[in-house]
Amino acid sequence: MLQLPSNLVARRLVPFALPSLPSAPLPSPREAHLWCVKPDELKDASLLQEYMKILSPCEKENVLSVKGEVLQKCALLSRVLVRTTLARCLWIEGLSSGCLFHARLDTDYRINPRSFKFKKNRFGKPEVEWQHNDVGFLPSLQFNVSHTSSLIACGITVNDPIGIDVEEKQRRPNANVLSLASRYFSPPEVQYLKSLVDSDSQKIEFIKLWTLKEAYVKALGRGFSGAPFRKFTIRFETRGDLVSEKLKTGEFRIAVEPVSDHETLTANWHFALAEITGSHFAAICMGIDENDTGKEHDLLKLKVWKTLPYMEDECLSDSEAVIKISGLS
Amino acid sequence: MASVAGTASAVSVRPPRRLLQVSNGISGLKSVSFTNQRKSSVSIRSAPRLRVSCAAKPETMEKVCFIVRKQLAIADDTPVTGESIFSQLGADSLDTVEIVMGLEEEFGISVEEESAQSISTVQHAADMIELLLEKKKAA
Repeated sequence: MLQLPSNLVARRLVPFALPSLPSAPLPSPREAHLWCVKPDELKDASLLQEYMKILSPCEKENVLSVKGEVLQKCALLSRVLVRTTLARCLWIEGLSSGCLFHARLDTDYRINPRSFKFKKNRFGKPEVEWQHNDVGFLPSLQFNVSHTSSLIACGITVNDPIGIDVEEKQRRPNANVLSLASRYFSPPEVQYLKSLVDSDSQKIEFIKLWTLKEAYVKALGRGFSGAPFRKFTIRFETRGDLVSEKLKTGEFRIAVEPVSDHETLTANWHFALAEITGSHFAAICMGIDENDTGKEHDLLKLKVWKTLPYMEDECLSDSEAVIKISGLS
Repeated sequence: MASVAGTASAVSVRPPRRLLQVSNGISGLKSVSFTNQRKSSVSIRSAPRLRVSCAAKPETMEKVCFIVRKQLAIADDTPVTGESIFSQLGADSLDTVEIVMGLEEEFGISVEEESAQSISTVQHAADMIELLLEKKKAA
């Protein structure tokens, strides 16, 4: 039985049916789309019940096994966010490919979020399990999810492997950050943190580095043993062509440098860091095939939405709610 | 069901379900890996002739649960047991490494980074600690 947070009001009299999901554009090359949910904004118990119906049986079981109302709600929203984010982009006009997707389309030819199947790669990274018929017809959407108790985010791209990590700006580790860094970060990163004069800057930069490192490991999709934190360095470096000009924020490029020439720690990964709704850092890492588009030093693009799936969508890009910190055009 | 109560005598720990494989390397170092049904694993290199005993002692389990509760600020009425999965308790990866650092301080042991970031259940953590404590005694 789904535990409902005690502060929610259940409306039982009128059957609640979800409206249709608005569509969203596909990410362009070198672009990531970030869809965010704030669990605190979900106050309707009947909506929670409807959300449960979107999940697969296995996902429902997982959600129900989470202990505690708040965590259970987050687990549920996390799955709903992935499914609805993917479904939004795959709106198909007309019947051109309809015969192949008949079972999965709602009446207005939108993909039903329930219809996605997921699998894990051999290291445990979740991926869409595209059905046999989809190959060649549907864009290859890549996704990654991250959550804190106050924000759940799903990043998507077309083709490019993606890893994201979100963290509360205010997060302060219980342990001393220099101890944590000495234990888990690479030596240059520890030096960088030590060079910061005040301890609050150290904590903030620690959190930023942590999210960037997490995003990288998740983008690689090989688990933590595939990319131990100590074995690579995240650096903020200036773009070569701007060295003589005054650098604005956003002009810094974030680069990853493997400590040893480990086969799995390749360096064609691009990073971006942004601040969302004044409350969270979001780090994004994308694996770009340089032969496809752009030059190596081109920045990434990011679009951000805040959503309560089926209820409300708000585009946050180009507003104060999204502050680009590094790596973004 | 493993549970932790106030006194050590009331604690019972069910031996974890897992496959234990030990293989000999030419160098004489033995690599021991534990896998459980959830497909997460902890691998630790140990000195030769290690006698492996993997079930964590009740006192170890109790200390681990205490440290986990503290780090994650878990409410008293929420149970924390050997089978508790960190992510289901609300721990993210930063919480996990902080927990591991707390365990290192508490038990005077040192955990490899790769292992630290891969620990997914309380049982994992307790068993790994037990193994490291044994290794320390044998050294």
